[in-house]
Amino acid sequence: MKQRTFALLIVTVLLASFLVMGPAAAQSDTLTIASGTDIENLNIHIVTSSPSFSVLEHIYEPLFSMSPEGELEPLLAESIEATSDTTYRITLKEGISFTDGTPLNAEAVKANLDWVLDEANGAPFRFLLVVNGEPAEVAVVDEYTLEITTAAPFAPLPAHLSHGALGIISPALLEQGADAMASNAVGTGPYVLESWSRAEEVVLKRNPDYWGEAPAIETLVFKVVQEDGARIVEIEAGTVDVAVRVPPAEIPRLEANPNIDVVVTPGLRTIYVFFNVNNEPFDDVRVRQAVNYAVDTQAIVDNLFEGAALVSTAPFAPPIFGYAEQQPYERDVERARQLLAEAGVEEGTTVVLYHPTGRYVQDALVADAIRAQLAEVGLNVELRTLEWTQYVPHVRRPMEEGNDVQFAMLGWSTPTMDADYALFALFHSSEVPPGFNGSFYSNPEVDRLLEEARSTLDPEARKAAYSEAISIIWEEAPWLFLYSEIQVTAIRNNVSGFIVHPDESLIATFAEKN
Amino acid sequence: MTQFIIRRLLLALPTLIGASFLVFWSIRLVPGDPALALAGELATPEYIAQVREKLGLDQPILIQYANYIGNVLQGDMGRSVRSGIPVLEEIQIRLPRTLLLASISLIVSSVFGIAIGVTSATKPNSWFDGGSMIFALLGVSMPIFWLGLMLMIFFSVLLPQWFGLPGPVLPPTGSGTWQHLVMPVIALAANSMALQARMTRACMLEVLQQDYIRTARAKGQQERLVIYRHGLRNALLPIVTVLGLQFGTLLGGAVLTETVFAWPGIGRLLVDAIAFRDYPIVQGAVLVIATGFVLTNLFVDILYAYLDPRIRYA
Amino acid sequence: MATLTRTTKKLYDRPVQRSRTYTWLKRLLRKPTAIVGLLIVLAFLVIALTAPWISPHNYDLADFTNARRGPSAVYPLGNDELGRDMLSRLFHGARISLTLGLTSVAIGLLIGVPLGILSGYFGGTLNLLIMSAVDIMLAFPSILLAIMLVAFLGPSLQNAMLAIGILSIPVYTRLVRSSTLTTKEELFIEAARALGASHLTILWRHILPNVLAPVIVQSTLQMAVAIQAAAALGFLGLGAPPDVPEWGNMLQKGRTYIFSAPHIVLYPGLATMLVVFGFSLLGDGLRDVLDPRLNRD
Repeated sequence: MKQRTFALLIVTVLLASFLVMGPAAAQSDTLTIASGTDIENLNIHIVTSSPSFSVLEHIYEPLFSMSPEGELEPLLAESIEATSDTTYRITLKEGISFTDGTPLNAEAVKANLDWVLDEANGAPFRFLLVVNGEPAEVAVVDEYTLEITTAAPFAPLPAHLSHGALGIISPALLEQGADAMASNAVGTGPYVLESWSRAEEVVLKRNPDYWGEAPAIETLVFKVVQEDGARIVEIEAGTVDVAVRVPPAEIPRLEANPNIDVVVTPGLRTIYVFFNVNNEPFDDVRVRQAVNYAVDTQAIVDNLFEGAALVSTAPFAPPIFGYAEQQPYERDVERARQLLAEAGVEEGTTVVLYHPTGRYVQDALVADAIRAQLAEVGLNVELRTLEWTQYVPHVRRPMEEGNDVQFAMLGWSTPTMDADYALFALFHSSEVPPGFNGSFYSNPEVDRLLEEARSTLDPEARKAAYSEAISIIWEEAPWLFLYSEIQVTAIRNNVSGFIVHPDESLIATFAEKN
Repeated sequence: MTQFIIRRLLLALPTLIGASFLVFWSIRLVPGDPALALAGELATPEYIAQVREKLGLDQPILIQYANYIGNVLQGDMGRSVRSGIPVLEEIQIRLPRTLLLASISLIVSSVFGIAIGVTSATKPNSWFDGGSMIFALLGVSMPIFWLGLMLMIFFSVLLPQWFGLPGPVLPPTGSGTWQHLVMPVIALAANSMALQARMTRACMLEVLQQDYIRTARAKGQQERLVIYRHGLRNALLPIVTVLGLQFGTLLGGAVLTETVFAWPGIGRLLVDAIAFRDYPIVQGAVLVIATGFVLTNLFVDILYAYLDPRIRYA
Repeated sequence: MATLTRTTKKLYDRPVQRSRTYTWLKRLLRKPTAIVGLLIVLAFLVIALTAPWISPHNYDLADFTNARRGPSAVYPLGNDELGRDMLSRLFHGARISLTLGLTSVAIGLLIGVPLGILSGYFGGTLNLLIMSAVDIMLAFPSILLAIMLVAFLGPSLQNAMLAIGILSIPVYTRLVRSSTLTTKEELFIEAARALGASHLTILWRHILPNVLAPVIVQSTLQMAVAIQAAAALGFLGLGAPPDVPEWGNMLQKGRTYIFSAPHIVLYPGLATMLVVFGFSLLGDGLRDVLDPRLNRD
């Protein structure tokens, strides 16, 4: 009997302590961000995921920064000018040092860019500095000046230099090799690495010797909270200050919460379904347009995303330079049926739609929705999915390898915020598989316009060329244009100045917490 | 005793070799070139060539296996495709976390499982007995991950709702504080606890039929002493064996539990690696878990022989 | 001589099976837990077989204005994330679970039983080989082997069935081997050998019927294991493609909405638990009835 009462007592005490112990209150000099995945490693030249860039871009800085509005701003570099068609001269800011004391100079920048260009290092973003298959050449002019020469005129280069993958690592660390760079971080940025507990969290501390304006928050904690639902619970409880990738279904609930701001930021990724224009029935432009008329993207956005997506009005998202708004294909079942009939597509024709699963937000769901909608115009859609690593090689195969794909869903993000990156690889006839132009779209006029736009340095001329190219592409519909992603982030309302960038990186440098 | 240990060790060796061979060979199940699978799709041609050389694909399969084991024993299990960090390092960081979870679950499940089992055996066919056995069967039938999800809903949403609390009673996922351990332990232990209860009850029932129990009672011994000193101690042997095996099963169940609660252990490493097609990690993690399982069984066998001398000469 | 053999053969050919089944069933139905198990299993079978006809709605019809709605009059168990009827999806999921279970168990049976019999009967090197293979497979805790196989082969329903089937083989092999060892010592085996019966005849006519009892029990329990394993694989995304209404799949997809629409996660798990529970109860009951002395491995 005594044993039992004792046990009961323990249980009561435990229960009571649970109820009394509230969530740990977050201190005002620490900002906790709940992100969905862990960083891959600490080498900013090797990582590919946006959570990795979010963390590492507080430690490492590239030469320029791209503002959320798409404006190039100086960061480690003071200025950039084109001294010739193919050469850019960059002047660095003086007096900046890495946290290990090494000075930032043109040699350091060259070492970093050369490291990325070295194929043996396998940098995934090497292509940012490759023009027409030729790597750019980096030359040191004097201590704070360098020149980058490309094989052909390349207007997007300054934008490319703002990409996180070209962040500048201390040359001393660079010399120690990839292994050292994967587990150590020495940069010029406003924060330094305090600790990285794998699959749990990364802790950054304010850099006391930062060359720029010191950030207000002392400690940044990037906590890995994989479960969507768990991130919501934590932001509501206040155990984290920022929660990324809020599931659209939770938006109304969070908006109703007085302590939380739901911040909506347009993203740079467009989700689309490309048609293989070499295969039936999508070799006929009428059929492609019919599909565009049949699918009610607005309904998908409203119901599946609770409005947290942008119906596409161009092949890429609005914040990107070169965007030109087109008239979206509004749902018109009659028109769709008519076009199909004209093209001779019989009622009940089966078409196979490939889609990835778990790669993009709600990708399988959207594919299912498309299937349901196409059924209404007499197209019988069979859904097929593959694991991501097999998916891309399968749907973007050269025709000679027996490519029988009819249409397939993919996403494309434009981290450089420049239309060249968004259009050239996808619509230029030279980029057909094994390149990225999975739809095998080929239009000589579009080719010419894209080539012109990338070699002219005059922004207005580029915009005009892109505008024309886009309207042709829109008309010829090599894609089912769907939507571009919107990032939904939940932030506690006592935090101000936190920036969610369209390129999915998070910037806490200017944040303050009350 | 030493002879027995050596014998058992020698017997375990072929199993280890066989299991490691299975893990080594399985990479060839992946459609396509195994070197490409192990190097990752974004790898440079140089790195792929490196991997191919290490695999030695043109050599007979036994030589390849010898190379593989040789490398593993030197600590080289390849590199993670996703992070580029050596597989051994990734595993080393995460394994202790899983061991923590599994150990605590084992203790919890044993304590409660044995207690319930003993009580059931001493009151056979009572309401307690019938009820607890039904519950135990339910516990075994319940998918661990579903139980985990239900616990999450209960502690993070329902309880705060009912009591009007500002936040979740227990943090739904992650690690770091002891509160993070509670739900994963409950979920992981539930299955084991149920099994342990049933097994204990069965063993105890058998033991309690024995003559020496009747003698002890006839001698006027206190019932509690009869049950514990004479009954449980003798029933303990098979229970201990099951305990040891449970640890191995817990390692397997940890995979699911860690996924649900995002506990950063080796189970979650494995699942994430599968999603990313990070085959070197998949191979390494499976090998480590399987080896641990074999070694645990070995240890339990030896322990059993130590406790019951009759086994040594079997 | 010929007449003698024929008469003796007739003695052995006595149809013992039929009356034995009748006795089993009667004894089974006397245990309340077994009845519950039997009812659950029967319900599961009926639902799985008649799913297309008893489903109130088209399980595949997506109506996203109903997305994530809780239980209502029209949709008794609510709607999933695409607005599909949960009840209909659960029914069709039963079909898939049944297929998965039966196929895996069949694979285990068809390969494990012969291996076990051969291993137990002939002993020697064959036994060593087979049991070593069994030990190797049992060196992997629970579903780890299945996870690894499906991870490398690629997730699909077929691969999941194959992997779980492979998992079942060692269980049967061990079980049947020990049964065979016991039966081998029986007097009537010696008698049959003395009469000149070939190994094949002995195996087929005498050994096999006697190992049937534990195999039946194990198969029932193995169904429970298989369905649980299938749900686990589905939960990890290693099973059927996502739009297939497999219960584990449904749990995985519903995780995102666990706090706003918990019914998506509640029902598939409940269904899995019930079915596994039913098969376990039935298996336990069968075991008590068929051979109370039967020891679990």
